[in-house]
Amino acid sequence: MTTLFPHAHVLNVLSDDHPGIVASVGRAVEQLDGNIDACSETVLEGFFTLIMLVSFPRPIDSQALAEKVKVAGGGDYQVMARQFVPPTGDGGGQTERFVITAFGKDKPGILLGFTGYLAGKDINIVDLFGERKGEDFVLISQVEIPARWDIAMLQADLEEIGRAEGFTVRIQHEDIFVATNQLRLKPC
Amino acid sequence: MLGSDEILSTIQMLHAEHLDVRTVTLGVNVDDCAASSMEGLCRKLREKLLRRAGGLAEVCGRIGRKYGIPVTNKRLAISPVAHLLAGHGRAAAVEVARTLDQAAADCNVDFIGGFTALVHKGITPVAEVVMESLPEVLSATTRVCASVNVASRKAGINMDAVGRMGRVILRIAAATAANHGFGCAKLVVFANIPEDNPFMAGAYVGGGEPEAAINIGVSGPGVVSSALKRRIQLGRKLTLGELAEEIKITSFRVTRVGELIGREVAAELGVAFGIVDLSLAPTPAVGDSVGEILQTLGIARIGAPGSTAAIAMLTDAVKKGGAFASSSVGGLSGAFIPVSEDSALTQAVARGELVLEKLEAMTAVCSVGLDMIAIPGDTPAETIAAIIADEMAIGVVNDKTTACRLIPIPGAKPGDKVEFGGLFGSATVIEVRGMGASDAFVRFGGRIPAPIQSLGN
Repeated sequence: MTTLFPHAHVLNVLSDDHPGIVASVGRAVEQLDGNIDACSETVLEGFFTLIMLVSFPRPIDSQALAEKVKVAGGGDYQVMARQFVPPTGDGGGQTERFVITAFGKDKPGILLGFTGYLAGKDINIVDLFGERKGEDFVLISQVEIPARWDIAMLQADLEEIGRAEGFTVRIQHEDIFVATNQLRLKPC
Repeated sequence: MLGSDEILSTIQMLHAEHLDVRTVTLGVNVDDCAASSMEGLCRKLREKLLRRAGGLAEVCGRIGRKYGIPVTNKRLAISPVAHLLAGHGRAAAVEVARTLDQAAADCNVDFIGGFTALVHKGITPVAEVVMESLPEVLSATTRVCASVNVASRKAGINMDAVGRMGRVILRIAAATAANHGFGCAKLVVFANIPEDNPFMAGAYVGGGEPEAAINIGVSGPGVVSSALKRRIQLGRKLTLGELAEEIKITSFRVTRVGELIGREVAAELGVAFGIVDLSLAPTPAVGDSVGEILQTLGIARIGAPGSTAAIAMLTDAVKKGGAFASSSVGGLSGAFIPVSEDSALTQAVARGELVLEKLEAMTAVCSVGLDMIAIPGDTPAETIAAIIADEMAIGVVNDKTTACRLIPIPGAKPGDKVEFGGLFGSATVIEVRGMGASDAFVRFGGRIPAPIQSLGN
């Protein structure tokens, strides 16, 4: 994407969740004459994390930017900033989006087991959700699968990993979830 | 990005509630297979079906795995076989049926529909050949399904055809007596037969349909029932309007699954995508029952007062949800009540709580008619014809599709139980009241004129 101003940074903020965090970060950026070009926040079990792409008309040191935001939060935020370098290349070729779900009795190493396999296959995770529900763990991973892989083979591999860990694993094309939840169907 | 709650609710629907695509039906026009020699006709028919449908089962399996949803049945439908048989006799009809049977087996599909005659205004010689060959066709084949359209809103009810079908049904039952008259389960007598219906036994390719098209039948009674139970278990007092809303939302989601699969299968096979049939199609499995939905809606004994209103509400909500989900809705699109195929309905008949007359009333507001109903083997042909005539009248006057799939069980009396097996389930023979009391009416024959509603222009 193209930012409004030429000097862009990626900003990451971690804090306990409470009203006013985004406003105070926004105020700090404004005081530096900056613009918020993109943002996303997540709240997990009472903790808040924010990732922002911000840009400025004049050069600014990443460290100074992080300090400015930290001060805006009264010193309660953990803040990290780094210079934004737009990704280059085609992202590794053609991919399709799939959703991997796994359910089973929670124990250490579950996430590692699945993500280790995905990493070995050059499969990128674009969204991840995991939660303990009673004794069980639910894992939902939205992934980009390179077109060169046979989905039936991946299914078999993931099911095998799941069986070994006592988990039920499924991998399904994301369009089934889009079709059943969103108003517009993707064009065929 | 998809939300985790959206993903989890779809997973629940697909896997915990066992949503499947009930049927992917490939319709193929086979009119161009007509030939003067039987050898030529059958060869062209076999070659065309294998060319068009040879890959159907494999494609359905692959796409089903991609989305994590099973396609339970793969089926074929053809243009009316009567178009092929002009100039041929009954022996030729049976030979064509055997060819269709073998082609269906070779394509790995479980049924092929379209052994069809359209006789709502009159019976042509070739239509007569088709109708009279049915006892032999349906006893000599396993996959061939037949349908006869005897009535329409525009033509009225052809009572000569209705009377003839009463006799033909008894002959089919006799020809398949060793299997409890099972041949009759593969025959549907229609009013206003839909031209794009994917469900058996009534699927066929009507006039005006493309050369080849994929039509989809979704399932969903289990999903609807589970959604209603979940909503009710939340404990808040609900109105029927709110329950109808829940059905509508579920129907939307179920329909979308059908449309997604249908479009992709059609694209892979290089044929047109036709329609999604919204009908809730039950199976004998517990939990996959339209009757159970009625029980969830508060009808403790199916057939009790309120049953008709409940199924009317269900059918309407299913249509509304489905119509919003897809612009390609067609076929029958309602709620099926095939008695032997629905465990809760079967039990209600066995307990004497659901009677023929109440089923008939329910069919006035749902889809599709008196379906998979076992009747005593000694029911006279004229009485069978009169039952058909009543059901056709509902369709013709209300401008909807209605149908009869009645199975006279040779040697069986009311209360006897028969097992058909598989998706056809089991049935308790229902009592037919007033046997023989309509003979004179049926024997008048001729045509019941089209109702005034037919003058719609």
